Amino acid sequence: MVTVKLTVNGETRTATVAPETTLLRMLRDDLNLTGAKLGCDVGDCGACTVIVDGKPINSCLMLAAQADGRTLSTIEGLANADKLHPLQKTFENYGSLQCGFCGPGVLMSAKALLDENPNPSVPEIRDALSGNLCRCTGYSKMIEAIQVAARVMRGEAVEKTA
Amino acid sequence: MDKKPEVAQKQTLEQQQVLTVPPLAPLVTYPLDVVIADTRQQTPAVGQRATRPDGRLHGLGQTKYIDDWYFPGMLFAKIKRAGVASARIKSIDTSEAEKMPGVIAVITGKDIPVNTFGPSLKDQPVLADTRVFHAGDGVAAVAAISEQIATEALEKIKVEYEVYTPVLDPLESLKLETPGIHAPSPNIYGHKVIKKGDVDKAFAQSYKIFEGQWRTQMVEHVPLEPHSTIAMWDANGRVSIYSTLGRITLGRADVSRTLGIPMSRIRMIATVVGGNFGGKNEITTEPALAILSKKTGRPVKCTFTRPEEFYASTTRHPLIMDYKTGVTKEGKILGRKIRLVLDGGAYCSWSETTLGKACILSAGPYNIENVYAEAFVVYTNKTMTGAMRGFGAPQVCFAYESHMDEIAHSLGIDPLDIRLINAFDEGSISPTGQKLQSVVVKESLLQAAERFGWNSGVHVNGNGQPVGARS
Repeated sequence: MVTVKLTVNGETRTATVAPETTLLRMLRDDLNLTGAKLGCDVGDCGACTVIVDGKPINSCLMLAAQADGRTLSTIEGLANADKLHPLQKTFENYGSLQCGFCGPGVLMSAKALLDENPNPSVPEIRDALSGNLCRCTGYSKMIEAIQVAARVMRGEAVEKTA
Repeated sequence: MDKKPEVAQKQTLEQQQVLTVPPLAPLVTYPLDVVIADTRQQTPAVGQRATRPDGRLHGLGQTKYIDDWYFPGMLFAKIKRAGVASARIKSIDTSEAEKMPGVIAVITGKDIPVNTFGPSLKDQPVLADTRVFHAGDGVAAVAAISEQIATEALEKIKVEYEVYTPVLDPLESLKLETPGIHAPSPNIYGHKVIKKGDVDKAFAQSYKIFEGQWRTQMVEHVPLEPHSTIAMWDANGRVSIYSTLGRITLGRADVSRTLGIPMSRIRMIATVVGGNFGGKNEITTEPALAILSKKTGRPVKCTFTRPEEFYASTTRHPLIMDYKTGVTKEGKILGRKIRLVLDGGAYCSWSETTLGKACILSAGPYNIENVYAEAFVVYTNKTMTGAMRGFGAPQVCFAYESHMDEIAHSLGIDPLDIRLINAFDEGSISPTGQKLQSVVVKESLLQAAERFGWNSGVHVNGNGQPVGARS
């Protein structure tokens, strides 16, 4: 068993897990953060995307022990008690998530993109979402919502209520 | 002095910090005041952007799909898959698996009270006990304290097979001399004919007759959320089943039948579905999990792996479609004859619905006075085919529209014009005799052609970018 200590959404968390445990399993089973989803377990679908030290990664392909000492953001840390993240707001307004299963992964990929590039072009957004599969909504509404969220974050557009 | 005081102090602080972290740290914080979107307050929905009532939860990652549920003492189940397409099961030895530490129960088809189910024909076993009809058939189920132990236990289950040559080609299966896959039942388990007018007479009057064959492949739904179920049998003899099923009432009837208990003793709880597309319309492992829960007295969860989604859940029917169409010199269709062969896979599932819909729609949205359409669905030793978006309509659409393009090309008619010549109008009669209302095929085609830049010679996509030139 290995003890993993890491910072998740600003809080120090620890868990003792079997060495073969993936980061995804540890987040879901040990830290009770079930936002990241298991869709394929082989890094194809991106439903398990979380941000590790600023980079979006497939948490099903990273061992929990490899995350020791690192800083993670998961979907659960995207909003705070006062407000939603602009991405969450625009995704809601634009109906960008139907069944929602791919949503946490898509949102984390989008957040990592906007953190690095506040004014991404459509091809850049497409590229950032290339590791996230969606089967119901399609990508158009997501791309639209990401563009609007980027404008809101740059202060060029006002957030709508709701 | 072996440590500097400030280092020792820092270490103590760090230890304290770790120690004071509560066993369940505050998980998530989010705004609780939900503002209802404008779109849901205004009555005219047309022109409004559609939002979803569950959009907020989705965005917060707070939607609970089955795999996000956990019950105290819960066990994890895995299904042993046959891995051979057609075989007789000589023996199943589960003793080694049962001995494994952490394995609580192992069951086979013999433990299922009524080991057959299906939305129409009851031809599918919950766990195959005598015959294997496709490689994804389950032959045993294991419940263990972790998914990993359950997966390991599968390898300890020894199954002896008498392997048969599988029938994989639906046209082969269609031949009467091919031995019945589900003997004594015939391989053709569904048949439909639609007849309107006299095609042979129409062909005799035609300027030209065109023939062609089109085939479509098997398609898996690939919902992002794999099939998942939790079963809990209680001491009152009632079973609660949390399921990703899209049709829980039908599922409840199937579970009742397979378990041999009345429906009043079964509680089906539909959880949020992470994508269905028709692939979650019927039960799969639910009865096996219920029996595992009964045996162990614990909640039992089973989540399909991604490969299992492909070989152990239903798929879209592959079709072999033969078309014969007689036309006038101007491109008016006089008669059309169609033969459809649906690859039904190992079990019936929703084949009858698919067969019907494919056959009804096979002539296309065209005014044709003389139609003869015949459809067959046959068993093969492949993954079962069932419901999927459109129930056979997309397959035949591919065939008749490809056919139309070839006819237009050969007659030197614009592909748009041949459709305008033949398409349904308001009040047209379909091949099954239905009088059609609210028909806007031609208007839609013309509008699309205009926006598409059909007559300009340069076609544009939705973003205004050229996508190819007209030949």
